[in-house]
Amino acid sequence: MAEKEKAPARRYAGEAILADNLKILIIDDDPDFRASTRSLLESHGYAVLEAGSGREGLRRVVEQRPDIIVLDIMMECDSEGYGVNQAIKFQDAYADYRSIPIVMTSSIDLSPDERFPMAGELDMIRPDFYLTKPLDIPKFLEVVQRASALCHSHGRA
Amino acid sequence: MSEPAEQETIVVIDDDYAMRLSCRKILSKMGFRVEAFEDGGQGLEGVTKLKPSLVLVDLKMPGISGMEVVTRIHEVRPEIVLVVITGYPTIDTAVGAMKCGAYDFLPKPFSPDELRLIVNRGLEHRRLSLEMRRSEMERALLKRRFITFVSHQLQTPLVAIHQYLDVLKHLDNTESATAKRQEWLERCLKRTDELQAIIKDWLSLARIEGESFSRQWIKVDLQRIIADILRTYEEMAATNAVSLESRIPENTYFVRGDRDCLSVVFDNLIVNAIKYNKPGGKVTVSGEDLGGEVAIAVADTGVGIPEKYHPLLFEEFFRVEGEGDKKTPGTGLGLSICRRLVSEMGGSISVDSEVNVGSTFRVRLLEYRAPAEEEEKKGSSG
Repeated sequence: MAEKEKAPARRYAGEAILADNLKILIIDDDPDFRASTRSLLESHGYAVLEAGSGREGLRRVVEQRPDIIVLDIMMECDSEGYGVNQAIKFQDAYADYRSIPIVMTSSIDLSPDERFPMAGELDMIRPDFYLTKPLDIPKFLEVVQRASALCHSHGRA
Repeated sequence: MSEPAEQETIVVIDDDYAMRLSCRKILSKMGFRVEAFEDGGQGLEGVTKLKPSLVLVDLKMPGISGMEVVTRIHEVRPEIVLVVITGYPTIDTAVGAMKCGAYDFLPKPFSPDELRLIVNRGLEHRRLSLEMRRSEMERALLKRRFITFVSHQLQTPLVAIHQYLDVLKHLDNTESATAKRQEWLERCLKRTDELQAIIKDWLSLARIEGESFSRQWIKVDLQRIIADILRTYEEMAATNAVSLESRIPENTYFVRGDRDCLSVVFDNLIVNAIKYNKPGGKVTVSGEDLGGEVAIAVADTGVGIPEKYHPLLFEEFFRVEGEGDKKTPGTGLGLSICRRLVSEMGGSISVDSEVNVGSTFRVRLLEYRAPAEEEEKKGSSG
């Protein structure tokens, strides 16, 4: 931990190689959150795309095929992010994008299991990764790295 | 407004054929669907299948006893009203049945009127308790949603600020951090303003809810209030390239109300008119004497509101859907606060709007008339 704090931001062991060319799509309705997250990710060698709503996000997924998606839960409606997650993971129209890892974020500190305690379709809304906002930066970078590893092992289309 | 009542089902469980027949006859005539069973076993099966509103059970039957039938139904479906029919109406049996979950008891022999009375009473009890349960559930749900909503609304700007500062700290003295620092600090300040505006909105709402503001309506000159507000927002209007105009003359529009409440109302309307305007647009505040009432119109030449949203505009939390970044920060409470305050003062608020042309919000308020002045005015106006 201590060495991380001192090291220049770009030099996380092995990360630069992994991060190169990886495209991350941030779907969040807060432009400020996108701006800071973009700079953080760019400083670690990722390319960043942005979308301000679920609808725009889905459009970008198809148009630009990101490698990882960072997705906010509460946008226009309480559960917009879950809708995007569900679409990508289960709808036929997005079958080609199903393997893209999704990191869900929310400022409400409730995992999907607590949020929908009775939902039988819980598996349909459970994201690959879940983080609360504000993001813990080292943890977020670690999760993104794990997600990158995931898309490498899946092989990219 | 109750929805068309669907036919309610009543189940009769009695081993006596004559009893089943007469109950069926009387209750069918009352418009119920009646199903009768001759023993407890069949009765329980029937209840499971038919989900009746009310069950009449004879206490003394061969096989499964009436008391047990009552107990079992009550355990599984407590919302079903149970009435026991008993040949020996002692206090003990009645109390026993009630303990097992019966709502009432009917001693044999009984008249058709007695049966009708007890059935109606039982069903009324059911309606009330169902209604109560429903409203309790609704309230709990609403409270939960409300808490989620408020915390999300307060968290959003805080998260944005925190993340800017944290990323700045993380990037430390790298080139990108130096380049961003100034811009991001500006954004942080903007977001703290937003946070303060949100808290202000919530406080005004809490104040209305708590009804702690004065109910002593006094004479208020609207010109002063509106001029003050327009002055406050001159800079904001200039930034948005919007011009402001007041056509409210001095000493003309006196209304009966509370200065603070009126300030909140026109503050909200004028800020909206600036926020949802277009560069080069205009905000005009004008007045009209309606005789006994004063109408103040706040008109903008902005983006307008699609007609389908007009009925929802004054609802709490309602926000007109914006596309991505075009969204303007706000609580979705401003207009609902306006409506509540205006109606507290005996007035009303309405909107006229056309997409891409602009919106006009009209507030109608009661004209102030002092008792002494009243006489004078009567004389002068004929």
